[in-house]
Amino acid sequence: MLQISHLTRRFGDVVAAADVSFEVPAGQMVGFVGGNGAGKTTTMRMIMGVLAPTSGEVLWDGAPTTREVRARFGYMPEERGLYPKQPVLGQLVYLGQLHGMTASAARQRATELLGRFGLGDRLDAKVETLSLGNQQRAQIIASVLGDPVALVLDEPFSGLDPAAVDQMSELLREHTARGVPVLFSSHQLELVDRLCDSIVVLHHGRVVASGSSEQLRATAPLRYRLTTTGDTGWVRGAPGITVVDLDGPSVLVEPADEDAAQRLLADAAARGPVREFSLIRPSLSEIYREVAA
Amino acid sequence: MNRAWSVVALREIMVRLRDRNFLMSTGFTLVFLLGAILAQQFFGNRAMSYDIGVEGPEGARIVAQAQELARAEDPEVRLTSTELGDAAAVEEAARVDDVDYGLLATADGWELVDEGPTAGDLQMLVGEVVREDALGRNAEAAGTDLESLLAGSAVTARDLAEGDGGSTFLAFVLGLVFAMLFYMSSLLFGMQIASSVVEEKQSRLVEILAAAIPVRTLLLGKVVGNTVLALGQLVLIVAVGLVGLAFTDYDVALPGLAGGIAWYVPFFVVGFLALACIWAAAGSLASRTEDLQSTTMPLTMLLVVVFVVSLNLEGVWRVVASYVPITSTILMPMRVLEGEAAWWEPWVALVVVLAFSLVTVRLGARLYQRSLLHTSGALSWRRAMTLTD
Repeated sequence: MLQISHLTRRFGDVVAAADVSFEVPAGQMVGFVGGNGAGKTTTMRMIMGVLAPTSGEVLWDGAPTTREVRARFGYMPEERGLYPKQPVLGQLVYLGQLHGMTASAARQRATELLGRFGLGDRLDAKVETLSLGNQQRAQIIASVLGDPVALVLDEPFSGLDPAAVDQMSELLREHTARGVPVLFSSHQLELVDRLCDSIVVLHHGRVVASGSSEQLRATAPLRYRLTTTGDTGWVRGAPGITVVDLDGPSVLVEPADEDAAQRLLADAAARGPVREFSLIRPSLSEIYREVAA
Repeated sequence: MNRAWSVVALREIMVRLRDRNFLMSTGFTLVFLLGAILAQQFFGNRAMSYDIGVEGPEGARIVAQAQELARAEDPEVRLTSTELGDAAAVEEAARVDDVDYGLLATADGWELVDEGPTAGDLQMLVGEVVREDALGRNAEAAGTDLESLLAGSAVTARDLAEGDGGSTFLAFVLGLVFAMLFYMSSLLFGMQIASSVVEEKQSRLVEILAAAIPVRTLLLGKVVGNTVLALGQLVLIVAVGLVGLAFTDYDVALPGLAGGIAWYVPFFVVGFLALACIWAAAGSLASRTEDLQSTTMPLTMLLVVVFVVSLNLEGVWRVVASYVPITSTILMPMRVLEGEAAWWEPWVALVVVLAFSLVTVRLGARLYQRSLLHTSGALSWRRAMTLTD
């Protein structure tokens, strides 16, 4: 398990990450969301030891991470890059060796992964001759090459076509299935919602919300939509009800509790036909907007 | 992980060895060097070899004496005579180049005939023989002999340098060549270190590398790889140069210079190492290849100054500079070559430059570590000094 414990990083007067704490349990996928400049990249760099924290620490299975442990993490930095003028396979082997693999093991694994991502016939192509999407695939391979014990991926899905998004998702699921904790950041909230076991929302360097998407939704206020055949102006006076939005026969309300909601429904039914009475499940992006406001 | 530096070093070497520009420039240097040595040998040191047409035995005797006199100086001189009967035949043979020159008796001596000017060395040689011959006869006629007549008139030259006379000039040339080699290699491979650093920075690979291995290990690998390359290229050039020299007349002087040449290697390696980490720091200050020119400027300037100053110092300043790091790389082996330095002097200078490089390696490594992950724009040297991790 990867534990991030009170990580803080200052750049001069700017606090890029303030007391960031969360966990990435073994075999779980955690989505890291937040606007640009929220501190996601800074936090991931500190997890990887590329950036020294001002305070706080990163724990691996309960003990502070060491360079040896971090060397076994797979990392995909926000800024992508491989040697532009070198063959793809050659530099993947090099990176594998730096992670402690033997040259032949690295070659075998890289060849297998390149084949799987449809690059089997481009092994000796220079990176600069590959399309951006294919360079991105090579980058993904670089991060999972050394059989990592944990994955830290900064925006792994950006720039991928739908087919590659599916391949990437599958690859990540394979890792979680083996018990590898996976942390990735993304702006694609639907994707995060679909893939992740839990979500950490960062805003101005602070964790403003975290938990499973169900837990996050539970924190959002209860809302119902009521649609009748007549005007719904009377709802404004209903006890325990706050009107969020009213538009003729349709009204969006925030009841104080479940009882108030049920009383509202009974009142509406007494006044005439009810076309719709539904619980509004907030989307992740609405929750995100809410907490990051 | 402790072998990671060798993986990095090996990559630096392999990338360079597959670089066509690098291979071609090394090849050109070698061809140029061999060409220069061979041309020098061919044009500068070609031994005199002439066939001289004469009328009869009298002329042939002069040529034979000239040959004997010349052999005392240079055993490879070859003068032969061809007897052609009369003056007209000699002139004709010289005109159509059947012989190189004709030698004809005149009323008050001899003349060399040819179409066009006569070689000065041959004219001096024949002149000396004829003069001695005439003096001998005149002396006999005056009742004395040649020796008494010439007594007290000898002028000879004595070389005060130890060993062979040719080595002073050769030592100078070798010193100059080594100075140029050091200048070129440190510029070439220093730039290579800087640009391989900025390549990783510009292509954003550095974060992946820094997450996998310590930044110091990355630096160590780069420095080792490029030092091995620089040294390898140097050894190749020197070996080809020495083999080339062995085929020239300078071969006799080489054994006396071996000590100086051997000193050059450690000075080169340490001198290169002293700057290597600073080159890496210069690379890490840049964020794009285009910035390199300005971030490496202090280093290129330094090398130019070292090169120019080393070759222009004289007297006591030259001795002082032969202990000062970087200029010592050029001057100390040069002084050893010239036979000017005592046995302990190169050792002291080497210790000084080693101590100096310990400082520069630490400084360079620190700057490199601090600025490597700053990818937003080039840093100034001053700013990099004040960065924190």
